[in-house]
Amino acid sequence: MSVFEGLRFRNISSPIHRIDPRAKFIYVCILFAIAVLFSQLIPLLILFFSQIPLVIMAKVKREWLRLMRGTMFFAALIFITNMISLYFYGGYPSLLSIIERSVAMTLRFIILVESFSIFFATTSPDMLSLSLEQMGVPYEFCFAFITAIRFVPVLAEEAQSIMDAQKARGLELERGNFIKRIRNYIPILIPLIVSAIRRSMELAEAMESRAWGASKKRTNLYTLKMGVKDYLFISISIIILVLSLYVCFFVYIPSLAELIRFG
Amino acid sequence: MAILETRNLTYTYPFAENPAIKDINLTIEKGEFVIITGPSGCGKTTLCRCFNGLIPHFYGGNLEGDVIVAGLNTREHPIYELAKHVGLVFQNPENQLFALTVEKDVAFGLENLGLPREEIHRRVDWALRVTGIYDLKDRAPFELSGGQQQRVAIASVLAMQPEIIVLDEPTSFLDPLSAKSILESIYQLNRELGITVILVEHRLDLAVRYANRVIIMDQGRIILDNSPREVFLDARVKLIGVGLPKVVRLYLLLREDNVDLGRTPLSPEELSDLIVGVLKSDKS
Ligand SMILES: Nc1ncnc2c1ncn2[C@@H]1O[C@H](COP(=O)(O)OP(=O)(O)OP(=O)(O)O)[C@@H](O)[C@H]1O
Ligand SMILES: [Mg+2]
Repeated sequence: MSVFEGLRFRNISSPIHRIDPRAKFIYVCILFAIAVLFSQLIPLLILFFSQIPLVIMAKVKREWLRLMRGTMFFAALIFITNMISLYFYGGYPSLLSIIERSVAMTLRFIILVESFSIFFATTSPDMLSLSLEQMGVPYEFCFAFITAIRFVPVLAEEAQSIMDAQKARGLELERGNFIKRIRNYIPILIPLIVSAIRRSMELAEAMESRAWGASKKRTNLYTLKMGVKDYLFISISIIILVLSLYVCFFVYIPSLAELIRFG
Repeated sequence: MAILETRNLTYTYPFAENPAIKDINLTIEKGEFVIITGPSGCGKTTLCRCFNGLIPHFYGGNLEGDVIVAGLNTREHPIYELAKHVGLVFQNPENQLFALTVEKDVAFGLENLGLPREEIHRRVDWALRVTGIYDLKDRAPFELSGGQQQRVAIASVLAMQPEIIVLDEPTSFLDPLSAKSILESIYQLNRELGITVILVEHRLDLAVRYANRVIIMDQGRIILDNSPREVFLDARVKLIGVGLPKVVRLYLLLREDNVDLGRTPLSPEELSDLIVGVLKSDKS
């Protein structure tokens, strides 16, 4: 659950929240590209730490920390698999460089998650759907997206109460072998599915009653407009990308191990 | 002129053996406040669905007879067109709100109609003020209390400026206090804006004082259709199993003991006034 918390939108206001989702999305893509571009530890470390001012500006520090903690398990997994495969097949000169390389790969993963989380934590789903719509995605899809987000907490709560009810009637979830445990969840899944279907029927009814599909040209209460700050944000992102490309192809990047040895 | 009329309305759900409502003939005038009540499963919700074309357009099934709403035959007009004339508010507030802010939710129907943006803003603000939830504009609907959610649902049909609002047990998920305040707001819409209200309600204690007409259904048929003061005096009400309002029950008990209050009271205040009146006239 803690991993998802970090991806959840918090309704607060900050300079980062006010940036157009499309501009932010471009930024996230560029960040992705840079993270994939480099496999050395030093540039990835710089990339990682350069995100932190953004996190602080967006006032999502707590969510960010929680997300970082949430990714620890996967990060450890990536680190270990990298260590093992590099040790046996990598042909690296020393253990130190294997460790450095594995840390770099892990960091790359963390940066990907980090940038995603900044995007989702500072973009309201409404804005997201609006920008999708303005990029030409049909309204039906955007509506489905919004509805899914809207009902995730509702369904989670419902699952919990069904679980409590079934437990009160003597259902033991953590009992038996693997197959048995999965079977234990059937008495929870079935009521949940039935209720979700009923819910969606009621939802459809309410939508129909409010003139769903009345007009081909649906109005949108709000529209997104890119402003100066959005273009500025995109420009900065592109400059960073160009700079990174330059560094990647024309500058020799020492490894941390080398730095320590000669520095 | 009648704003809503049904003629020999009989409806059977797809795959059902028996009709859910049978031979309903109903005429409702503009500006009326009508309560529909009756035991569970008697077809109240089904009747509501006929009023805005959900039946037959959404549910299919077999519809006999006609429903004429604001001069439109529901058979011949799609739901979205009827929605401009009839607003439907459902029982469960949670499942009729889908946007992430109250404002967007209230705007939903108007957006669908493709109205100009300024017009939508104007109507949304108006609907939010009328229902007393303007301050909640930027909140997420699912964070609100049940009563507030139901107000959002009412605002969202109100924004479409329908002539008729149909509410299917709007208070059954609410505590008595919120129920009372919702019903008062509905009455206000009826009295001040002249909107025709059709209210399906089990809580007759709270609702009956606002109605000018009570319809009692049983097993898919209309059994009684009368003014609230008359309708409960019919012995059939008890047989059907409709819970009489407490004040009416007390009135009937007193009448059995030969204390005649003169007329059926519809609220505790009225009852106490009548009793005081009788006591005074007894003394003199
Ligand atoms: N979607 C449906 N499909 C098939 N049958 C239905 C459907 N909805 C209701 N019915 C049946 O139609 C009959 C009338 O149901 P309806 O929901 O209209 O009753 P109601 O008076 O609203 O009851 P309640 O007070 O419980 O809400 C019932 O026998 C019910 O089983
Ligand atoms: Mg019903």
